[in-house]
Amino acid sequence: MLVGTADLDQLVQTAATIDAFPVEPLNLADVLCLQLTAEMHNQAREAVLPPSLHPTVPAILGLQVWQVGESPWGAFAMAVARVACRSGVRARGYTTAAFVSTAAATEGLRSMLGFPAVQGDVTIRHSYDGTRASVDWQGARILEVVGLDPEPLGAADVQYTGTLNLAHTPNGLRLVQVEAHHQVNRVERLTARLDTFDASAWGNPLLDPYRVVSCSVALEEVTFAPVRFVCKPDELAFTGTEAVA
Amino acid sequence: MKFGIFFELSTPRPFGREVEALVYHNALAQCRLADELGFDHVWAVEHHFLEEYSHCSAPEVFLAAVAAQTRRVRIGHGAVVCVPEMNHPIRVAERAAALDIISNGRLEFGTARSSTWTELGGFEVNPDDTKKTWDEFVRVLPKMWTSDEFEWQGKAFSMPARNVLPKPYQDPHPPMWVTVTTPGTELDAADRGLGSLGVSAAGYEEQERRTKEYHRRIQVCEPVGGVINDQVHTMNFLYCHEDYRQARDRGVPMINAFNVANTHLYWTREAYPTRAYQTLGNVGAGMKAKKTAPDDPSVAKGLPEGVGIGDPEHLIAIIKRWESIGVTGINFLLNAMEMVPQEQVLESMRLFAREVMPKFRSAEEAAAPVYSPAAVPSIPALPSTAEVA
Repeated sequence: MLVGTADLDQLVQTAATIDAFPVEPLNLADVLCLQLTAEMHNQAREAVLPPSLHPTVPAILGLQVWQVGESPWGAFAMAVARVACRSGVRARGYTTAAFVSTAAATEGLRSMLGFPAVQGDVTIRHSYDGTRASVDWQGARILEVVGLDPEPLGAADVQYTGTLNLAHTPNGLRLVQVEAHHQVNRVERLTARLDTFDASAWGNPLLDPYRVVSCSVALEEVTFAPVRFVCKPDELAFTGTEAVA
Repeated sequence: MKFGIFFELSTPRPFGREVEALVYHNALAQCRLADELGFDHVWAVEHHFLEEYSHCSAPEVFLAAVAAQTRRVRIGHGAVVCVPEMNHPIRVAERAAALDIISNGRLEFGTARSSTWTELGGFEVNPDDTKKTWDEFVRVLPKMWTSDEFEWQGKAFSMPARNVLPKPYQDPHPPMWVTVTTPGTELDAADRGLGSLGVSAAGYEEQERRTKEYHRRIQVCEPVGGVINDQVHTMNFLYCHEDYRQARDRGVPMINAFNVANTHLYWTREAYPTRAYQTLGNVGAGMKAKKTAPDDPSVAKGLPEGVGIGDPEHLIAIIKRWESIGVTGINFLLNAMEMVPQEQVLESMRLFAREVMPKFRSAEEAAAPVYSPAAVPSIPALPSTAEVA
């Protein structure tokens, strides 16, 4: 069974800190969520994941770009890169980097859910002929996605998996299990191109999304459930999972 | 009740020529023993690129070896992936017919469409199309097998009028099946007069509901082939030992390893939003521990509900339960990633055949061959080259 081989000392450099786990759900309304999946070569399989996680075959990078109309921090946009993995038997995405458009949302997502978020310029534009998203950071374009030819799908046709964020927590350095419940109102599948992807900016130069598999864009409401479980990053989830009171 | 063995040919890391050869040859030895012991079926899956989980990408070759090394057990091609990027339907018909001939009419023909992105993406298959191409395949294959002149204009493929050769040995053609992973596929099988080849084991209650509905629907089916196959088989695990504790200690880790490997597959739905794959298609999920009824004999022994791990008495009890809800056959996975030493696998099969199988078949049934070699036609010898000259 394959397991991650990344050096935790490297991964921890961008880790957020959660002083206290949230006990209330976090509701986001009027959300536009673009999700793109792309295959990577084997170089980005075990090497980008902590030792507690199992990679998928093939290695898959998931990119999500969100535009949020209403949240406790007001409107904001966010882009997240996640490597598809398994924690025990569960399908998850391990976050390698996240960029958020406002300081308040950046701090909120770091301190409540452990996203390794930094502030960046995130934009997403949805129109009848397609969707375009981009991220600029430190004066450079690090992501550019173009999705065209939208096809309507049913709300149940798109799958979102839970997220694992490496963060300092009251339990120590842990993978925080973040469950987002997507209430999808409308969803389209797009034919997408990944025109720009700066792997180093997204957390690891080994990330190479060379083959786009799919892209969808959904109008939805999203609720982040209170954190219930965390996992030790250097121990398999079968034994390394801890319940959060 | 029919009993079969079922091969994924799961292979432990580190991979190499030796370990893959070991897995294949151990499996062939298990097939030969199954034949001797009176098991009814040997099934082999078709999977591609599924590291560890299944290295069984050329089942027609494996099953040809099984056919050559056995005399009575039926040969389960379970299942051929019915998407044209992986298998052209003409080649499927030809290979199946040849396998039926060399096995002297022992072929059982399963159909499937694949559930993982690892496989579909590897062959650049559009996941939206696989249900459609599967339906096209199951309708044309019986016609290829039974017509002297077949032509077709379809979505998956087209062909001008030709005689697809050879024809299967069985008349009119081998029994046809559908592998059932996702709930509801058993109804697709029923509507077309096809057998339901379960590759995930639901709990008793769920299986009973699905089996009842299958039997109801198949009464009014529109068969795609020349014969209706109304059998319902499920997949299970087997490790039989006189001491249930030893069976449990050896068998449960094997189940867990298989299920974990299964959950690590990259399912189509996770990669590609589509109406064609509504669940993660998770085989292992069906085999997880379920809420166990208080009267279930598994409880006291700390065994998962309905799973073929235990002493003979226990296995007889759980198989009777499966039988009572309408299951007509159980196909057992004997090993996973070679976790159980080969000699113990063989001993488990022997004990099962000696102590359990006789409880589910009469002496007459046990004595009767699954097929009769005497039925093979006598074919006149061809003239020698010299005579022709």
